[in-house]
Amino acid sequence: MLSRLVFIPASALKSSGSMGAGLVQASRCLHISPQNQAPVPPLPEKSGKVRHGIIPEEFFQFLYPKTGVTGPYVLGTGLLLYLLSKEIYVVNHETVAAASVGAVLIYAVKKFGPGIATFADKLNDEKAAKVQEVKDTAVNSLTQAIEAEKKEQWRVEGRQMLFDAKRNNVAMILETNYRERLHMVTNEVKKRLEYQVQLQNLHHRMEQEYMVDWVEKNVVKSITPQQEKESIAKCIADLKALAKTTQAKVSL
Amino acid sequence: FFDQFSLTTFMGIPLIALALTLPWILFPTPQNRCLNNRLSTLQAWFIRQFTHQLFLPINQGGHKWALLLASLLIFLITLNLLGILPYTFTPTTQLSMNMGLAIPLWLATVLIGARYQPNHTLAHLLPVGTPGLLIPILIMIETISLFIRPIALGVRLTANLTAGHLLIQLISTAAFHLLFIMPSVSLLTTTLLLLLTILELAVAIIQAYVFVLLVSLYLQDP
Repeated sequence: MLSRLVFIPASALKSSGSMGAGLVQASRCLHISPQNQAPVPPLPEKSGKVRHGIIPEEFFQFLYPKTGVTGPYVLGTGLLLYLLSKEIYVVNHETVAAASVGAVLIYAVKKFGPGIATFADKLNDEKAAKVQEVKDTAVNSLTQAIEAEKKEQWRVEGRQMLFDAKRNNVAMILETNYRERLHMVTNEVKKRLEYQVQLQNLHHRMEQEYMVDWVEKNVVKSITPQQEKESIAKCIADLKALAKTTQAKVSL
Repeated sequence: FFDQFSLTTFMGIPLIALALTLPWILFPTPQNRCLNNRLSTLQAWFIRQFTHQLFLPINQGGHKWALLLASLLIFLITLNLLGILPYTFTPTTQLSMNMGLAIPLWLATVLIGARYQPNHTLAHLLPVGTPGLLIPILIMIETISLFIRPIALGVRLTANLTAGHLLIQLISTAAFHLLFIMPSVSLLTTTLLLLLTILELAVAIIQAYVFVLLVSLYLQDP
């Protein structure tokens, strides 16, 4: 990972930090491919393959058709020996320094490299998990909303029945009210009519009584004293006769 | 042995500009995507961690300094780490450059503090609870310590890096020449290796630099 730094080509100058924006604008005339913004091309799953940590695999593939498997190694060894023998690369104290720096760096990379790689992957995975979680929560809440909506629709159907029941209820109340009032009206009318009837009865009775009184009065008036005596004597005779018969019955 | 510290010139053109700007190539710009490759993720994480840590004690208008201090950190770390490689030139070994970084930044903190809170700034010159007799002397001492800060910042960085590089040169020369007189070499080489690992405390030097800058910032209370 870190070893790739040595081989980044100069075209990366476009993305250099402090002057990046200016360079991008200035070099717009040099762009070849059309610039797409929205569909960002996905990153490759694995980084480019390197052999011995520095030299990319493409180099070996490049030399393979002409020189076979050992080609690059022969090239490397020959180049090194050439530089050393012709003293183009002088071995001096810097070589020792370079050797120790190289040893330290290689040790560090070998020891901490995988750990840091997994850490970086973990950071990325956490980010992805967070976004996924957001998406899942959204999906969940939407499904719940859908179910709630369905339930509401079912409830609406039930609501029709509720309305019918209420309508019946109201109708019944109205009917009862109407009947009560009718009843009341009937009662009142009956009371009035009864009153009239009672009134007539009263009149009748009073007339009758008055008539009876008048008849009695006339009868009593018409009873002469003589008739009175005769009737009293007859009554006494009857009573005696009756008393005799009764005595006879009792003694039997 | 001091040749390594002279400015590199190529056909009469001083290459210091290249030495200062080319290291930026090594850092990828953060792309506008959610999940980046490992290098971008690590870089973004590192910068965010550092900035967060650095600005915890401040949380004021001092946050304006965030970009400056973070980029200063990355700049110095890169320059120092790249200088450890053989045959490289480290710009931060030049006192001129370090003082050029130290004095403006320190002066900025002092001036900001003096402008917005002059009373508070002056009050810093006298620590709390000193006995009455010592006050004049202490003010002198505090003033001197205030003015010595930029010199200390610049010289600390220069001295540490120069000393480190020089030591590597000397010890590797000794190891190289003793290679042909066998025994002492292995010992020297191990010492050299140890020194190298400690020199990769160049990173720590940078932490110290930015941190001290931050301390002065924090104290000045912008």
